[in-house]
Formats: sequence, C-alpha cells, structure tokens
Amino acid sequence: MSNNRLHPKVKEAQKMMDDGRMDRRAFLRVATLLGVSAGSAYAMSGLVQPADAAGHGNMPFAADDPNAKAGGILKVGMDIQKMDDPATYSWSEMSNQTRHTLEFLTITGTDNITRPMLVDGWEASDDLKTWTFTIRKGVKWHNGDELTAEHVKFNIDRWMDPDLGSSNIGLSSIAAMLEDVGEKKAMVEGSVEVLDSHTIQLNLQKPVLSVPEDFSNYPTSIVHPSFKAPFSDNPLGTGAYELVELVVGEKCILKKKADHDYWGGQVYLDEIHYYDFSAENSLIAFSGGEVDTIIEFGVEQLEFAKAIEGTILTARTSQTLTLRMQVDQAPFDDIRVRRAFSMAIDNAAVKPLVYPEGGDIGANYHVAPIHPEHFDIPVPARDVEGAKALLAEAGYADGIELTIDIGNTDGPWHQTVVEAVRDQVKDAGITLNINVLPASKYWEIWDKTPFGATSWTHRPLGTMVLSLGYRTGVPWNETHFSNAEFDAALDEAEATLDVEERRAKMEKVQKIMQDAAIVCIPLFRPLYSIVNGSVNGVSMHPTKFHLFNKVWKA
Amino acid sequence: MTKFLLKRILQMILIMLTASFILFVIFDTPEFKKRLAVQELGGFAVSALTDASYESWLEKKGLNVPFYERYSNWIGAVVKGDFGFSQEKNREVGPLLWDKLKKTGILAFWVFALMIPLSLVLGVLAGMKEGSLQDRSVSFISVFFTSIPEIATAILLTVFLALGLGLVPAKSAMISGFDWKALVLPVLTLVIYDFGYVARMTRASMAEVMTSQYIRTAILKGLPYRRVIMKHALRNALIAPFTIIVLQLNWLLSGVVVVEVFFEYDGFGKLLLEAALFPDIEVVQACTLVAVLVAVLSQIISDIGYTFLNPRIRFS
Repeated sequence: MSNNRLHPKVKEAQKMMDDGRMDRRAFLRVATLLGVSAGSAYAMSGLVQPADAAGHGNMPFAADDPNAKAGGILKVGMDIQKMDDPATYSWSEMSNQTRHTLEFLTITGTDNITRPMLVDGWEASDDLKTWTFTIRKGVKWHNGDELTAEHVKFNIDRWMDPDLGSSNIGLSSIAAMLEDVGEKKAMVEGSVEVLDSHTIQLNLQKPVLSVPEDFSNYPTSIVHPSFKAPFSDNPLGTGAYELVELVVGEKCILKKKADHDYWGGQVYLDEIHYYDFSAENSLIAFSGGEVDTIIEFGVEQLEFAKAIEGTILTARTSQTLTLRMQVDQAPFDDIRVRRAFSMAIDNAAVKPLVYPEGGDIGANYHVAPIHPEHFDIPVPARDVEGAKALLAEAGYADGIELTIDIGNTDGPWHQTVVEAVRDQVKDAGITLNINVLPASKYWEIWDKTPFGATSWTHRPLGTMVLSLGYRTGVPWNETHFSNAEFDAALDEAEATLDVEERRAKMEKVQKIMQDAAIVCIPLFRPLYSIVNGSVNGVSMHPTKFHLFNKVWKA
Repeated sequence: MTKFLLKRILQMILIMLTASFILFVIFDTPEFKKRLAVQELGGFAVSALTDASYESWLEKKGLNVPFYERYSNWIGAVVKGDFGFSQEKNREVGPLLWDKLKKTGILAFWVFALMIPLSLVLGVLAGMKEGSLQDRSVSFISVFFTSIPEIATAILLTVFLALGLGLVPAKSAMISGFDWKALVLPVLTLVIYDFGYVARMTRASMAEVMTSQYIRTAILKGLPYRRVIMKHALRNALIAPFTIIVLQLNWLLSGVVVVEVFFEYDGFGKLLLEAALFPDIEVVQACTLVAVLVAVLSQIISDIGYTFLNPRIRFS
C-alpha cells in the first residue's frame, strides 16, 4: 500500500466531497480505485464501514466476529463443473469452486467496491496508462513458496496467450496491452514489468480506469507458475482451503488446508461442500434441509422461497438482458425500424411483470442506476402511434414480422421479458416471433444473429460494459454499432476519475446510445438467494461471488 | 442355437458401427466443434478469439484431425477396452460409465422387483374373468396410471410424499452417501408408469388362454378352479408377459432419463442427457454402445426364453 503518495485525483475528490459536490459513496469509489485502502477511504469519507461489507482495514474480508464459532461444514447448492483452467472459466460458479483455493489480486465486495486482495495496494499514473501494484507480503502457496511479482507476471502473460482462449483478453486493461501480430493478438513487448520481488507495473497502450475492477473478474484468479490444466489434478493455491474431491455434476469438497500459513487471518469453517442439484432443483433441496444455502434462485421461485424457512438474500445489480439489433442487417439497418420497436415498448410495465420486487427499470442505454456514474435519462414514454408512423415511413405500413433469438442463458426470465415485449409491440403492428434456443446453442450465435437477447453480467462501473460491448470494432460488439462520436464521448468519460464530472460526461454517452436504439434494455435484474438460520455472514454478491472466509455456523 | 446367437451378435456389431458412425459424423461438423469451444471457454471468450487462435485451440484439443482418422482411432481404442475421455467430467469414460450404470442398475432392480409381481398378479386376476368387475377395475387402473407421463407422477409424488408429508427426501442426489429412502420416489415413479402396461399385456394373454379349448375341458372335467388356473392356465399365460418384461429392460434405459434428471439421481440417464447437451462425444458414444448392447441382449434373452417356454417355437 502506497500510503505515502496519494493520487492527485484523490485530493481533488476529497475536496469535492468536502465542498459537497460529490457524495461520500462516490468518493469512496474514486479513492479505492486510485489505491487508497477501503479502510482509509471509509475513514476519509466519514462513512461508517458496514460490518458485513466484505472488507475491513486493508483486508478484503469482514472483521472477525467475537461470537464466531470455529468448525462445521457449510453445504452449498450450486452447479458443479470441471475445474480445468481458471483462466478459461466461463461462469462465476466455476470460480466459486476455486475461490477458496485460488485467490485474486483484488476483489469487488458485496457493496460493489473493489479492494486489494493478493496485492496490498496500487497506484495509477495521472494519465491512467501506468499502473503499479504491490504484492501483499507473506502470501504463501500451499507448498510453502511465497507469492512474488514474478508469479503474478506469469499469470498476466498467460491470459494474453492468443491460443489459450481466455475471455480475459476482452477486459479493457488486458486489451490495452495487446497488439495484432499476424492473424493473432499478442502482448505488446514490455507491457508487464517486474520492478522488484513484490512490485509489478503494467504499461498500457491507452488509459484504463477499471484495472483493479478487471483483476476481480472471475477468470483472473492467480495460479502457481507450476500450473498445468486441469487444476483439479494439482490444486495448488494460496487460499485457506484445498480441494479434496471433485465429481463434475455432483460435488466439490473443500477442506481447510492443514499446516498452511494463511495470510488472510482466521477462517472458521472446517469444510465447504458444494453439491449440484441443477439450478431449478436447488431451492427444493434447500427446503428439504440438504444444503445451508444455494447460489441463487430464479424469480419464478420467489413465492416458494417465501413459504419456506430461511432468510432471503437479495442483491441489486446491473445484470440485464439486451434485446439488441445489428445495425448492418436488414431491417435493422433502418433506424426507424429500431426506434419504432423501442417506442412500442413500455419498459416500466415490463419490469414488474418479470420482477415484481427489486430490480431497476432500464432506459435502453447499457448503464444501470446502481453504477456510480449513471446519469438519469428517463426512457421516453411508450408511443404506439408514433411507432406505427415510423414503420409506415420505413415502408412497413402493414406491419412487420421480426424474429428474435433467445437462449435463456441464465434462467427462464429471458423468455418472460421477451414475451412481455412481444405482447406490447403487437399493438404497433410488429409481429415478434420468439426463437428459443438451448443456452449453449445461443452462445454460439450470440454475436452473430441479427436480432437476439443477450444477457450481460454485472460490472462495477458503468463505463466497463460500454467499452466491452459498444465501442467500434471491439470483439464483443454484438450490435456492430460504430459511432465515432460515441467512442470519443466514452473515451472522455473513461479518462475522468471524478464521479460527478464523469456522470456529467455520461449524459452524452448514454443519450447517443438511447437515440441510436440499438438495444432495448427493459430492466436490470435483482439476484436472490436464501440461507438458513445456522449460518452467519453470508450475503448476496451482484456477480454471485462466494467468499466464505469469515462465515461461521452456529 | 449357436448360429442364432452368432447372427444376433453380428447384427449388434453392425448396429453399433452404424450408430457410432452417424454420431461421429454429426459431432464432427464445425457447428458442434464451435459448441464444444463455447462450452469450454464461454461465448464471450470464443468471440474474442481470432480465427487463427480458434484453429490453434482446435488443434490443441485434437479436434482438427480428419474425421476418418478420429473415428478409426476411437474404434481401435474401444476394441482394446478404452472408451476415451470425458471433456465435460474430466474423467476416463470407462469408470465413469460403470459408476453410473451401477446406480441405474440398483434403480432397475427395485423397479423390476416391485413391478413384476404387481403387474403379473393384477394381470392374471383381470384376465381370469374377462369382463368382470375385477377385470374392469384392474384395466381402468392400468390404463389410468400408464397414461400419466412420468414427469407428472414425479411432481405429484414429490409434492405429496416429500414436501407434504416429509416421508422421503425430495431429491435423490444422495449427497451424504447411499440412502434407501431417496430411492423411493424414483422407483415409485417408474413402477407406476410401467406396471399398467405389463398388467394389460398379462391380462390379454391370460384372457386368451382362458378361452382356449383345454381350459374349458379342464373346467368341464370338474377340476377345482384354483388348480385349473395355477397348473394349466398360468404357465401358458405367462409366456407373453415374460417377453414383454425382458423388453422393459430396454425401455427402462431410456425411461430413466426423465426420472433421473428430475430426481437428480446420478445414473445412466442423467449422464446421457448431460453428455448430449454438452456435447461430450465420447460419453455419448459409450452410452450408445451400452444402449445397443442392452437392446440386443434383451431381445436375445426374450427370444431364447420364449423358445424354451413355448415348445411350439423352434430356433430357425
């Protein structure tokens, strides 16, 4: 932790907060982003750090509970997949299987604030192109080796291996270290520099705001340099637990590692057991007392959950479903068609049909109210006549037939959303056919279909997903949207640390996106989980991360 | 007899070759390779890969080897008893399949242990007096239960016995070791679905025997009714149900998919579904071989058994 140097922007932000121009929570975010520990940032902001905020002092964990009892087994219902290569994980669930063995450089807490984990701090250059991370001292691998900057470099280099197939390549920070070499993308020489045994520096090709956030992403856990896939064959980590048994589709058993000098202080549980009941059966298994908690349950099971014993946990997130159209495919190349589609939908009416409780109404730009820099532009009111007129102008006076591909990739709620939309757009003469594909099939065509409904996970900052999904030419640009004005406005917002100023700049970004009508985003969904009374310290994370270090059973 | 067996085994090998060939062709298409990549790396990662990087990935996984080479390698390995490696489960297919088959075997054993006596007794009772109240009620019950799909039975049983009365666990994943109580719901579901069909068949066969000349003669001779049924009618009436019961073995192997998936019972059916969805080709292939083997074996057993039981039939 570099307490001796505060980023100039931190002082600026503190001043803004003192002047009342920035709220305290926004300050917290700027300060922690720039390398002030969450503990110090909470102190500077004058806010009381919440007890279960998944962080205290310079540690990513909650403070020790004086009443906590050690021992016991925590049983969790979750899909169990193979643990092959952590860098190619494609689900949060997979990373939860390794999260207590393999740790991350940083971790975003349930309060959506990112804290240092295997590093103890970071520092960004004023232009946000050079980031220095100091590795936490005294972090030991299960084999007794100490974690060093070389180990971290090994991992970051690995993510950039063009043949590995890690989705980390798409992260803004990693993408800023890549260049095209022949037909592949490879690391720009000298991007990752080891300064000393515990300091590592990243030299980016362009400014990136979200480097610490990126290092909390689920495929970025840190493996030992001796790593060889599959991880389950040689589960060497730095965490407090070790993998003792894995049966894909059945169970994943973790046990507190004996004789391990763990850096993170005391952990209470003896064992953590994950059992696979498949998503739709988990809540029934919970109600039967077979598990203590489950990773999540869908909104269609909310009434059932209320009827059984247990505490329902919720998380407000920016997870959403984008009904997105490709701007270079007919008939969506005509903005009148896209606008008419959005105009025929009443977003505010869709949300309560799908999520009667919790969640936020979307306004057809991909920034959620939970994002610190969200600029509130309301969604224009539904206008069926206007939509009809636009369609007539575009040459569809007798209505238009559209087909949307959906995959229900994270639950049947996708279909509920699209069906609600189908019934609404009908009034404007749009016949919407819903083509339901199996989830894995949808992931093959998600960025190829002219019209599809893709789910996007929660990201802590509003600019992150815009950068990943809507910039000209980025790999995950599923709408093929290409707008120089948008790119420039986003660049400007991303180079602005101050949240208030950034929010002001987001107005333009969000407005361009809303006007372009490339996506319809009716809602941002909440997450639900449930836990029984014997378990203390479990809370719902907006990306379903599990961190059970301070969890204990009565 | 030997000729008959040889013919059947040859037939089986041909079916296996055809089925595995067709599956290999399907799984060898670029679409399925892409799906495998999506499963392994995630949709976001795959779309971030350049074409050249995707090719390298296929090469690393051994998926860019020409089709005929992969197929012949696979046959060579299977002949040596090596069923390959599961991409999804990260495990040798042989032991994996064996584990699951054992669990389905336990399920099948109990299904048969309950279903056979139940359906035979009911069928015989019904067929003894065709058209009687006894016959009509058994027939009604049989048709009624057979017409309810397994999934509906499974849900109803879960609601009543597990969630309502709390007598048995709702799910049969058996996370803390083998549990007899967890076997109750899947076994009941399968028995309820299947007994009606076998009972109906037994009834038809019994009814037919009861109208035959020799039974009439026996009754007219004044033999006690009980003795006519037990000594004369049963033996002949049970020939047809025997064949059907053996063939239920084959039905069970596909019938368990719904039940195992619903109850989270980790057997052959659940494995097959997961592998097909993944797509985990070597597991699907091995499961297909097992399914063909069971189908052909049960046919052989029923044919041989039928010939032994029915002296009018000879091997041809």
